[in-house]
Amino acid sequence: MTAPMPNSEIERKVKDILARKLDRKPEDIHGNSRLTEDLGVDSFGTVELMFEIEEAFDLQIADSELEQVRTVDDIVLYLRTWLDTHAKK
Amino acid sequence: MSKRRVVVTGLGVVACNGIGVDDFWRANREGRSGVSLIDAFETTGFPSLVGGQIRGFEPARYMPEKTAKQVDRFVHFGLAGAEMALGASALDLAAEDPDRIGVILGSCLGGMLFHEAQIVGAFDRGVHRFNPLGVPRVTSNAVASHIAIRYGVRGPNIVISTACASGAHAVGEGLRKIQHGEIDVCFAGGVEAPLTQFNFGAYCALRVLAKHNDNPAASSRPFDQTRDGFVMGEGGAILILEERERALRRGAPILAEVAGYASNSGAHHMVMPQPDGSDAARVMASALKDAGVARTDYINAHATSTKVGDAVETRAIKSVFGPDAYRIPVSATKSMIGHTLGAAGAMGAMICVLALKDQFVPPTANLDRPDPDCDLDYVPREGRPARIETAISNSFGFGSCNVTLVFTRGK
Repeated sequence: MTAPMPNSEIERKVKDILARKLDRKPEDIHGNSRLTEDLGVDSFGTVELMFEIEEAFDLQIADSELEQVRTVDDIVLYLRTWLDTHAKK
Repeated sequence: MSKRRVVVTGLGVVACNGIGVDDFWRANREGRSGVSLIDAFETTGFPSLVGGQIRGFEPARYMPEKTAKQVDRFVHFGLAGAEMALGASALDLAAEDPDRIGVILGSCLGGMLFHEAQIVGAFDRGVHRFNPLGVPRVTSNAVASHIAIRYGVRGPNIVISTACASGAHAVGEGLRKIQHGEIDVCFAGGVEAPLTQFNFGAYCALRVLAKHNDNPAASSRPFDQTRDGFVMGEGGAILILEERERALRRGAPILAEVAGYASNSGAHHMVMPQPDGSDAARVMASALKDAGVARTDYINAHATSTKVGDAVETRAIKSVFGPDAYRIPVSATKSMIGHTLGAAGAMGAMICVLALKDQFVPPTANLDRPDPDCDLDYVPREGRPARIETAISNSFGFGSCNVTLVFTRGK
């Protein structure tokens, strides 16, 4: 079995995707950055973002889970949980 | 009450033989083709390898970089054409009522490039994962919407899809909306980005594409004995249409008048033209009547370089103009631009405007050995100065959609 992806790696990947989408530097995006208020991601932007994350991590995010996501840390935590759950199988 | 008159006050174009009106017109005047071997996708195994592929086009020169990244290629052509046309018209949008400005464009295929890539990708990734941009990036009306969003123009926003007549319909419907007083200004034209593997392959399968692969620039050969199909091209042409009185008041450049328009259907077949050309003749006659003119000094033919189409159009021209048909210069500029499908009618309209303005008839390139069934004056290989008061442009689309536009000098 391959080693689980560390949180730092998840965070880096998420920030890279956000930076590319938003035309920003990854270092300007922080864990507590709020998607809407701080990063200016609108609801359509969120949909695009989730698609990119699904692609990058090879998973599917349900609409109900999408609603819980407010910050970059929320995304990382969600991915952590998802990866751990699925690694156990 | 007399009809409101409509003039053209700006042009913008992206074509394989010229980006921007000056380069485009120079190439067409000089009989220079932009057709080359396609390298936009893998053509190995296709019977046709040639296309009107645009090279050296940088979308971000004409629109914000962010927009350039977000939209598909057909929208790039529309936004670039609109930016050029708007600049040329010297229209001050800040001083205009945005509700009185419309956008009416033609596109046959919409965002085919992205669409195709997504389908291929989905089968690689698993068919349950689709890119949400597959909706706003692919839809044909994205091009008109992006122009409205970019310039804040809030009048009618329409994309017409009538195959190879789309761009001509758009100019005609723009004319009507201004004539009827619904709007005063209209971005009108057509765009197409058809050079994708699936789309090109489907046209190959239909056996309608040119196969003169050994000499790409000479592969589109309207009216020539050796013509063997059309050359698919990409591009966009945008015209600023404007109510004449207000254009005169603001001292706008008056390039030509859009004097008449008609459209009809041959009610015949999805691919083949009506053999006797009676529907094509009827649409030309109706457009001339709409413009209130009896004759024309120039015809920009639909002529795509197919065996059947060019001969049928010739027959139709003769039936409309009688013996006079032999005195009218007719040119097929698709010999140089390729056939840009949904943009083609707007390209033809633009050629008429430029011919009127410059009093010069562009040639039919590559017409070396005229087909005996095609015996009009097609201005073979070399253009020439001419006195042009009226010019018409024909567009005949798959599915028997026909349009003729009539232009006059606009004095």
